[in-house]
Amino acid sequence: MNVVVCVKQIPDPAVPGTLDPQTHTLVREGKLIMDDSDAYGVEMGLQLAEAAGGGEVTLVSMAPAGETSGLRTALAMGAAKAILVSDDALKGSDALSTAKVLAKAIERAQPDLVIAATESTDGYTGTTPVQVAELLGFPSVTFAKKVSVGDGRVHVERQTEAGYDEVDCPLPALVTVTAGVVEPRYPSFKGIMAAKSKPVDQLTVADLGLDAGQVGAAGARSEVTDVTAADERKAGEIVVDEGEGHQNIVAFLEQLKLV
Amino acid sequence: MDFRETDEQQMLREAVDGIASKYGHSYFAGRARSGGNTDELWNELAEGGFLGVNVPAEYGGGGMGIAELAIVLEQLATNGCPLLLLVVSPAICATIIAHFGSTAQKESWLPRFGSGELKMAFAITEPDAGSNSHKIATTATRDGDIWRLNGTKYYISGADESEAVLVVTRTGVDEDTGRGRLSLFLVDLDSAGLDKTLIPVEIVAPEKQFTLFFDNVEVPADRLLGTEGDGLRQVFVGLNPERIMTAAMASGIGRYALEKAAAYARDRSVWGTPIARHQGISHPLAKAKIEVELARLMCQKAAWACDSDADPGVAGEAANMAKYAAAEAALGALDQAIQTHGGNGMSSEYGLADMWGMARLMRTAPVSREMILNFVAQHSLHLPKSY
Ligand SMILES: Cc1cc2nc3c(=O)[nH]c(=O)nc-3n(C[C@H](O)[C@H](O)[C@H](O)COP(=O)(O)OP(=O)(O)OC[C@H]3O[C@@H](n4cnc5c(N)ncnc54)[C@H](O)[C@@H]3O)c2cc1C
Repeated sequence: MNVVVCVKQIPDPAVPGTLDPQTHTLVREGKLIMDDSDAYGVEMGLQLAEAAGGGEVTLVSMAPAGETSGLRTALAMGAAKAILVSDDALKGSDALSTAKVLAKAIERAQPDLVIAATESTDGYTGTTPVQVAELLGFPSVTFAKKVSVGDGRVHVERQTEAGYDEVDCPLPALVTVTAGVVEPRYPSFKGIMAAKSKPVDQLTVADLGLDAGQVGAAGARSEVTDVTAADERKAGEIVVDEGEGHQNIVAFLEQLKLV
Repeated sequence: MDFRETDEQQMLREAVDGIASKYGHSYFAGRARSGGNTDELWNELAEGGFLGVNVPAEYGGGGMGIAELAIVLEQLATNGCPLLLLVVSPAICATIIAHFGSTAQKESWLPRFGSGELKMAFAITEPDAGSNSHKIATTATRDGDIWRLNGTKYYISGADESEAVLVVTRTGVDEDTGRGRLSLFLVDLDSAGLDKTLIPVEIVAPEKQFTLFFDNVEVPADRLLGTEGDGLRQVFVGLNPERIMTAAMASGIGRYALEKAAAYARDRSVWGTPIARHQGISHPLAKAKIEVELARLMCQKAAWACDSDADPGVAGEAANMAKYAAAEAALGALDQAIQTHGGNGMSSEYGLADMWGMARLMRTAPVSREMILNFVAQHSLHLPKSY
């Protein structure tokens, strides 16, 4: 079984990020790392390929300046190869133009299953994966907390507020996975040393048969018009326990609909 | 010149960091206090191939060098888990076996270092031969097709959890110099006539220290490592890695202490403002940071020299300097981290004061501060030998 895992390479979230004052988009300079939320997808892909007794995991990523640092991490975990789309024309891409690029790149790997995270840690739109599925003509199942494959179908336990839905659909399909789906492995030393020699196919927009006008800022349908700082977190309320502290706690939790 | 670590080295750091952070200092200290071991951590490191990164690839190892093994230990120490046996087993013992072992010895020992099955202790120090290895009095005498070992070794780390010990013995006397001719042996720790007693020490670490008594211990001839009489030269191949690993461990302890201190200083306020704003707190931490980073740099240089075909003199000088600088930097950083924590610095909960013994050890072992200063005075500054 061939699995494609979408891997976003993002600026290190531990380092305070900056926004471009003109475009209001995140500045992506310097070394990028694999989005932590994609480690779950990579692990899921590896486990499914192993369980299927054959096939391999191909990574697909779109990133500026030919960046491969984050891909190397996923290759060290055990993915077989990667497709990287890097092109100056992609600057200013919104979720849809990103999805167009990813879908074209994914087609090349002819996957049975495509895995993505529910949303990225730096952008948070959570819309790219389903757009990719639509462009590929694949069914999509989101918020998977458990995934298995058999008889040409994918079976998913889909996280909901109340519990989970069981969803079953034919392959090829696209599944987005939550952080709880599997515990990502740490790359082994052999994996780390092997990562460098694994193939990374670097493509441009033209290689994908796309027109520069369809992607990047030129093809974007959405635009960030303004950015405002989030409200400062308000100081918590201090309740002095004079015998009815527990009632206050219950009332507070009820108000949040937690009990 | 390029001071960046390779992509592989950075990924190695991240991977070990990920594993070590799951355990953390409370695991390490907890095991030390209960007299337990750190097998889970050791085994998880082995599973990832991290214990054998420096073992040649043809013997199942990672095929890299001391630079990589030092990264493993530094990251462990940075997470409050300075595993002493990494210095002894893969760094000293595996290095010497890889250099001087026969094919049969390499085949039987080397693959098991990386797999985590084998821990090997190292015994050079004796009650009357610490800083002065020429005075080693443990003898090995040939008796037909076996050797017989007699003597005492002390401060032998991990002798209880190791399968074997690499022992430095005297097998003769050099007629010209009158000094002992040394030979190395690989001795099973459960050999008849080999007894061990625990040396209680004030170091919070899961590895324990032992005195080993060799009373006519029979060792098969195929356990002689390398060439008879050439042991001093051979053992030195393992001692640069030992110093580099000690430096890496000390650097890691320094980073561990500084990370805790900086977090505490940002958070703790006594006069309505975080104590980090008082330069009496921030400057000593900044100074300690500089010293730790300088030590790391020398450690990296030493590891590079050790792994490359650089002049051996460069590796020896850098390894000594790195060990000296890192031990001093670790103590400085830990001391200031404790001070930054006020009374909490002495608590068990904050995990600083209990690291003191470990950090302090590195000023004395594996080679003392004074012996390094002797070395630098003599070899780097060409000053007369004082002893
Ligand atoms: C916890 C621990 C673990 C250890 N693990 C091991 C192990 O696994 N295997 C092993 O073989 N050994 C081990 N050692 C031993 C360690 O390497 C020695 O303690 C160290 O080399 C110092 O030797 P010594 O104790 O004999 O000190 P000594 O040689 O007696 O030195 C005493 C003091 O005199 C100073 N001194 C000596 N000569 C000179 C000189 N010429 N000029 C100036 N000052 C001098 C020294 O610096 C030191 O301060 C360990 C020790 C400890 C404490």
